[in-house]
Amino acid sequence: MKNTLRVVLYYILAMALVVLVWAGASWLLQAFRGREILPTPWVTLSAAGQNIAVLVSAFGTSALRFLIALVVAFLLGLPLGLAVGFESKLDRYLSPLIYLLYPMPPVALLLFLYLAFGLGEVVRLVVVVMALFFQVVVAAQGAAKYIVPSHVTAVRSAGATRRQIYRHVVLPATLPNVLTAARVSVGLGITMLYIAETKLGVLLGPGAGLGRFIEYYTFRGDISLAGVVGLALLGLLFYVILELLERVLCRWKFVGARGGT
Amino acid sequence: MIEVDGLTLIYGRGGAAVPAVAGLSMVVDSYELVAVVGPSGCGKTTLLLALDGLLRPTAGQIRIHGEEVRGVRRDVALILQDAGLLPWKTVRQNAEFSLRIQGRKESAGGVLSDLGLAGFERRFPSDLSEGMKRRVGIARALALQPRVMLMDEPMANLDSLTRERTQDLILGLWWEMGFTGVLVTHDMEEAVFLGKRIFVLSARPARVVEVIENPGMGEPDYRGTPEFAAQVAHLRQVLGGNGP
Repeated sequence: MKNTLRVVLYYILAMALVVLVWAGASWLLQAFRGREILPTPWVTLSAAGQNIAVLVSAFGTSALRFLIALVVAFLLGLPLGLAVGFESKLDRYLSPLIYLLYPMPPVALLLFLYLAFGLGEVVRLVVVVMALFFQVVVAAQGAAKYIVPSHVTAVRSAGATRRQIYRHVVLPATLPNVLTAARVSVGLGITMLYIAETKLGVLLGPGAGLGRFIEYYTFRGDISLAGVVGLALLGLLFYVILELLERVLCRWKFVGARGGT
Repeated sequence: MIEVDGLTLIYGRGGAAVPAVAGLSMVVDSYELVAVVGPSGCGKTTLLLALDGLLRPTAGQIRIHGEEVRGVRRDVALILQDAGLLPWKTVRQNAEFSLRIQGRKESAGGVLSDLGLAGFERRFPSDLSEGMKRRVGIARALALQPRVMLMDEPMANLDSLTRERTQDLILGLWWEMGFTGVLVTHDMEEAVFLGKRIFVLSARPARVVEVIENPGMGEPDYRGTPEFAAQVAHLRQVLGGNGP
């Protein structure tokens, strides 16, 4: 409990620091260029307050979209990654394919994605799912390759089926690494979400996601910047969710580390 | 009873094929506890995995209680070198794991407390000492109430006091439960302490080069006797003769 309070305190301090640096940057830019370039935190805050209903709607839409994309990417990527990492035959055949596709940014294929999925909600989800999917696959594959052989032997010796080996060894052994990788890829995912929402939502109102909100108010720096803050908070939200998930699902990882961090 | 007849195990295929065991034959009587020793990397563990039904023989046959071994058997338990505990399961979950996999509802609580692990059921393995981890591994095997126990260096890398205590524990359990046991070890004193007969294997590919009768085995104070020392010296000589 005390630890949680300390973590929260650090986050508050970090936010205060960001606000301070931000205020300093706007003041410096104003001083050297002679006009307002970067709106100050309080101007942004008041712009956010004036447009709070739209901003909340945009935040909610983006959060839901990201959540769905994350869940879908996990449901598709985790089984594939674990199987490829654990079954050496699959590894041999599928790894080259994965590594060929992995570095390819889905945004580069936007034209084809439009044509394939239309201009609706689906294509926005597809872009984010594609980006997260490969992250999950590669993380799961890497973790599944280094499963301790004696764990598998112990379970096989008890007469476990393949399915039981996955459930009792492969999945729990790799979960901490997979969740860490997911946390790392939140940043990439948010970037993709932003691109998907700006490039693929030209006809929509500002409530249709934070990307669209920022784009919609391009010429109102203060409101637009409030949307950027929203994106940062969205990333933080998912980061915290994944961290809590790891603490709950991988409780065993944290018992040995008592008094450590 | 365990009968191994002309067992050959070859890893890999073609040019990369590595024979681990070549034409090995041995018989372990019911309720007998035997030790298997040999130069390191000679194929002792491979032999044990084959006895457990985890490796299919390339040639030859293994029979347990007269039935050919074609896969994992429910009356055979395996104790692994580093205990093979799953770090994400508690002591109790680890001890009951094999039972649950086999769809059995029994508790391992009794076995855990017999092995001095009462009160630790909800801990994770990372919280235990090395000796306790090994005992959880033993508990997992015992919980199955097996007729055959296969042990792959269950005392490796333990400090000498803990090692002797664990050896005493295994001897006591053998008396109490009357299982048929095969203990693979590289420790000569351990082989003499726990093996009614000691099978000495050759360097890889493994086959039996000598069987040492060890009639004095079975008493907890065997270790201090001159007979024990003489057996250890004899075993050392036999192993030295076929050293790597």
